[in-house]
Amino acid sequence: MSYDPVESVAKGTIEGFLNWGEEFIKELAIKFKDKKLAFIQDEKTISRVKEQYRSGELSFYKEYIENKEMLFLLKMGLTLRSLERDNDGERKQNLRTKIFNNYQVKGLHIAQFVENGSLNRYIGILIDDIISLVNFKKDILNILENIEKHVLFVKTLDSETNIIQQATTAITLHFPMIFIISGIASAAISVKNCEEKLKELLPDYSIKRISEGEKETLFFKRILI
Amino acid sequence: METVSLKNINLSSKIALLKELGYDSDGEVVLDIHGNKILDRYLEIPVKVNNMMILPGSEIIIDDNELSLSKYFEEFGDVL
Repeated sequence: MSYDPVESVAKGTIEGFLNWGEEFIKELAIKFKDKKLAFIQDEKTISRVKEQYRSGELSFYKEYIENKEMLFLLKMGLTLRSLERDNDGERKQNLRTKIFNNYQVKGLHIAQFVENGSLNRYIGILIDDIISLVNFKKDILNILENIEKHVLFVKTLDSETNIIQQATTAITLHFPMIFIISGIASAAISVKNCEEKLKELLPDYSIKRISEGEKETLFFKRILI
Repeated sequence: METVSLKNINLSSKIALLKELGYDSDGEVVLDIHGNKILDRYLEIPVKVNNMMILPGSEIIIDDNELSLSKYFEEFGDVL
């Protein structure tokens, strides 16, 4: 149950903020110590976090991924997506920074991979060629643990030449079954512009481009002979 | 469990609440009674009074962000 301080505890306002009385603070502290209430900032943050815990997408990932830290990063990706959906750019950037500070660039990329819907599309591609559940699980974990080898996250300042060079180098080096190039906003335009050239340069791969809002993603799937 | 939003509460009331709970503040961050900065349990960053959440479970004071809150739920379950 949420508590509305505006209705129930206002004793006056100072510069637009509410002032609590001494006795009321004592009452709150007693309730808190009795574990009957918690002090939060925004109810929306609580509901957003809970929403991710109950999401069907997370339940699906839990079926195939056992690593708890990895699952936590996937959860953060779903939370980033929720913030994006709600146009809450400031909180989204704040969360991105916190993920980066705690899990470095790799952790942020894993979360982004979920946020932009690439993980569920990647799983869709894997399902097409599923041999065994064991291999399926291994493939999912493999792309997440080696995300830098399988996914190129294009930055705003990356030139098209640079994108093509990075992609062809990564593919030549690792020869992955699936390789993904992903860009948002101005980086998305660069990704789109590279498609034709990459088709020419990578004849061993079939390419599928997915456009969604400000995002462009290229999926390269190795052609099996 | 009831939740009380600190969002629109003035600084002096928040500091008074912290003192009632056995903490303190320099007006910016949460301090313990010895004047040491209280760190977010999961991010190990100082918790700002204007961005704090005080949650049950041995009095957990954390920064208001989705990462810390998710970690809290992982540790204590869906208690809110």
